[in-house]
Amino acid sequence: MASAANANLNAVRETMDVLLEISRLLNTGLDMESLSICVRLCEQGINPEALSAVIKELRKASETLKAPENCTN
Amino acid sequence: MAHWTTFDKETERETKRLVRCIGGVQDEEDQNFQLAHKFAWSNFRFHRYLDVDSHKVQRSISGIHEKLMVHSDVRKAESWTGLTEEFLNSPLPNTEGTKSDAHYGVLSLLLFLSTSPLHTDFTERPRLKEAEEDSFDWAQYLREGEDGDVGPYPETPDWSEEESEEDDGQQPISREDSGIQLDRTPLEDQDNNNNNNKASPVTWTVGEPGARLWLERHVVTPYWVAHAPRFPHSLHLHSNLLNVWDQHLYNTDPLYLPEEKAFVTETQVIRETLWLLSGVKKHFIFQHHDGKVSVRSNVVVTHLTPNCLRSVLDHVAVFGQAVFRLQRFIDEVTGHGSEPSPPGSSHGSSHGAKRGSEPPFRTYQAFVWALNKYFTGFKEELTTIERELIRNDETVTLLAVLERLNPHLAQIKVLHKVFSTGVAEVPPETPNVVRASHLLNTLYKAIIEYDGAGEASEQAVALLFSLWTETVRPYLEIVDEWIVHGHLFDPAREFIIQRNKDVPVNHRDFWYATYTLYSVSETVESEEKLSDAASGSSAGEQGSSARQLTMVSFLKPVLKQIIMAGKSMQLLKNLDCKETERSERSSRDAERKSLYTRFLESVQSRLCSRAESPEDPAAEQQATRRSLIKMQSIISQHLEIEDVHDPLLAINFARLYLEQNDFHERFSGGELNVDRSSQSVTCQTFELTLRSCLYPHIERRYVECCGNLMKTLKKDYRLLGYLQAMRNYFLLEAGDTMYDFYTAIFDKVQEKESWQQLSFLNGQLQEAVGQRHPEDSSRLSIFLETIDPSRKKHPVNNLEVLTLGYKVPWPVDIVISSECQKIYNQVFLLLLQIKWAKYSLDTLRFSDFTDVAKKPSGAPVEDAKPKEPIKQQTHRMCLLRVKLMHFVNSLHNYIMTRILHSTGLEFQHQVQEAKDLDQLIKIHYRYLATIHDRCLLREKVSFVKEAIMKVLNLVLIFSDRWRAGFGAWKIESIDKMESDFKNCHMFLVTILNKAVCRGSFPHLESLALSLMAGLEQC
Repeated sequence: MASAANANLNAVRETMDVLLEISRLLNTGLDMESLSICVRLCEQGINPEALSAVIKELRKASETLKAPENCTN
Repeated sequence: MAHWTTFDKETERETKRLVRCIGGVQDEEDQNFQLAHKFAWSNFRFHRYLDVDSHKVQRSISGIHEKLMVHSDVRKAESWTGLTEEFLNSPLPNTEGTKSDAHYGVLSLLLFLSTSPLHTDFTERPRLKEAEEDSFDWAQYLREGEDGDVGPYPETPDWSEEESEEDDGQQPISREDSGIQLDRTPLEDQDNNNNNNKASPVTWTVGEPGARLWLERHVVTPYWVAHAPRFPHSLHLHSNLLNVWDQHLYNTDPLYLPEEKAFVTETQVIRETLWLLSGVKKHFIFQHHDGKVSVRSNVVVTHLTPNCLRSVLDHVAVFGQAVFRLQRFIDEVTGHGSEPSPPGSSHGSSHGAKRGSEPPFRTYQAFVWALNKYFTGFKEELTTIERELIRNDETVTLLAVLERLNPHLAQIKVLHKVFSTGVAEVPPETPNVVRASHLLNTLYKAIIEYDGAGEASEQAVALLFSLWTETVRPYLEIVDEWIVHGHLFDPAREFIIQRNKDVPVNHRDFWYATYTLYSVSETVESEEKLSDAASGSSAGEQGSSARQLTMVSFLKPVLKQIIMAGKSMQLLKNLDCKETERSERSSRDAERKSLYTRFLESVQSRLCSRAESPEDPAAEQQATRRSLIKMQSIISQHLEIEDVHDPLLAINFARLYLEQNDFHERFSGGELNVDRSSQSVTCQTFELTLRSCLYPHIERRYVECCGNLMKTLKKDYRLLGYLQAMRNYFLLEAGDTMYDFYTAIFDKVQEKESWQQLSFLNGQLQEAVGQRHPEDSSRLSIFLETIDPSRKKHPVNNLEVLTLGYKVPWPVDIVISSECQKIYNQVFLLLLQIKWAKYSLDTLRFSDFTDVAKKPSGAPVEDAKPKEPIKQQTHRMCLLRVKLMHFVNSLHNYIMTRILHSTGLEFQHQVQEAKDLDQLIKIHYRYLATIHDRCLLREKVSFVKEAIMKVLNLVLIFSDRWRAGFGAWKIESIDKMESDFKNCHMFLVTILNKAVCRGSFPHLESLALSLMAGLEQC
């Protein structure tokens, strides 16, 4: 059983590797961590388009959040 | 939110992580975080987006693939399809199955997020596949498609390093016995590495007895062994010409005795040729005997007659010998050390090691460095040929190889020629300076010689020019060091100018005696030392031009500047410059480019400017053709005017004009030159190159150095002040001061007191000078010299014991030397004598006479008879006095105004414009010579001076008698004085008139006129 779980884990890890390659190819800007979060969210049924919109928005917001900080610094 | 399911909670947790991860806000209490979270959450829950459509995603995937293909990004496209396929078929952590909605969801998310996948620089990273890794047969995979080709020699025994380590006892195949000598000279290292077919880094040992046999069969037959086995070759007639020829000889010549022959193949001959040219010393076909390379007599190839082969190989041997000699020279200079280092960077450690403490001879090192550079390129070419030969892709014949090497061989010939005249023929024990300048001269001459041949020797000129630029480097560095830092660094004594060690800088002889210019006369090859006089002053210049000396001819036009700049710089460095400029200059020095770099840069920029102009040769050619046609039509019109219809003539005329155009361009825009690196350009009018690339830099430096020195001398060291002081005291320009001094002496003389006491004289001088020029009082002093008693007989000569001395401090004493002071003193004495005469005449009073006249009247003892003569005598005395006064005043005026003043003005003007110290010294000397001359002090006109002295003497005697009173003189003595004066006067007037009439001494005119006027009154 343990070996089966282990195999599964390996398979999933490989999947994530493949996914990361795809993400790199598409230049999405996601790293492994954010990618795994996204995968989990997608699996939970979150609409990918909504998710992508949220991610873009969050990125923009964090940019603007950082910009004034830089200015004040 | 109590109704939330665990699912919702999980989603919320993920959302928070997302916000943290993407938004970068870590604190959950943060307002921003909450806002972001709320935003995300609401978006996730309330949106209007459609659910994921797997078809759509699939379409997008293939769309991207197509896009990548369209952009020829095949690799990426393949990766893309492979990856997506793989992903869709892989399991996800919490989803069962493959190609599920979640899969598509994730993919579509990535597609939404993707930004310009076309422009990303993507290379697929190999992912670890643990499970598969072990079973994967890499060897199989890599050899796929090779279908078992085991190489050209399938029966090759297995060689392995392990095996060789085990069999220590077995002999390694030495390269010596294969005729392929392992070369130990540093230059050929890389070469040998390239020739690795012969010497692979693995130690090849013979593993089994059959191995040597195998080598013989497959690599090379040991043709170098006596009675070597014959290799199999074709039986075609062409391959057996030797046999046919032998047979023929055997048949025709009854005495023909077939010799023992060593058979080789043409490939072997080619390879030995290549090795020979690359400097390998041990061969089979070529033999070395005391530095001479000859061809082994019994070597034959099957398809050529022995004579034919020999004639070709003899030709090669000549070049082999040249290479060998050059190589040996390189080895000698580098001392068999490691790679010769560029001169200057390290001072030849290997060389130093070889010759002990002797400093490295940098010119030779530089020359060797240049040679080495050339040989590196040459050997590269040889290696390329050899590699082609080994590859066996195409037929390589000896003739083809020689044809290919022909330009190189021609260059080697040139190099060897230069080497043998420039280096080899120089007898040993020749001083380095001669060697260096001879080598540079030889190169220089060779360049000019080949340059004259025009395009035919472009290559040679390019090569020689690059050689020359390298070789001249130490010289230019020495010059640079000297004219920039004032330090002549030349440990090997190779520069044509050398510092004499025993003269310190702050010595007055520094300027003259510090440097020795060595000049090598080409015809006799003997060294001449032109010390002192030649070192930079005009005498040196004349000497060198007159004798056609060839001390490094390229420096000749700027030699004077170099010497001046160098000496000025050294002097400047040793002067305590008061300006702060010094520190600035030293800081700037770090950024300064050396003379050599500048020279190279100029040469290169000159080359570039020429190289860039014909950018497109085809276009240019077209343009030329077009202008040719145009020109032709014009010319044919011209010709037709004169009834000549000859199209050929027209074309030739047109071409001529065009060529001339080109010629003009060449002249106006500078000449074509060598690109040092590519060595591809010729260097026409080599001297022009130097003129435009080297000399200006030196010239500029010269102007700068000498300008600085002049400024420093004038400003900080009051040079002009001292020159003025000399005029003030020696030429009596400070009239009032000197008047005080000399009248005190004259008064003493008149009172018949002794005046020749140092204390009195110096006291008077100090008193006079101290009042008006206190700064000079300590410098001025009077000396008494004992003079020749024979000259003492005249009172006017009494003054000649006086010598005025002015202590000139260093470095001004370089200009105002003691020799100069001597001349000043001569003029000074003359002036004093004139002043004395004038003073004694001026101070005579008529009252003396009235006293005399009264005395006898008070005692009328004597009869009235003598009264008449007394009156007459008095009258005559008065007349004589006036005449003498006229004479003395004329002379005085002439000297003080016409000569000293005007010449002085001229001198001051020239001093202001003097560019360098030498010029200044020369101007000063010329000035002194002029006044010396014009004051009639020259030996040649001593008779004039004698006459003047006689008159002055007469004046002194006359005034003496006048003062002594009436009774002291007699009528005879007046007669004598009158006649003496008349004679002298007449003589002077005649002489001066003659001189004036000749027109050679225009300045004498005024004196002659005024004296003549005096004479007419008589």
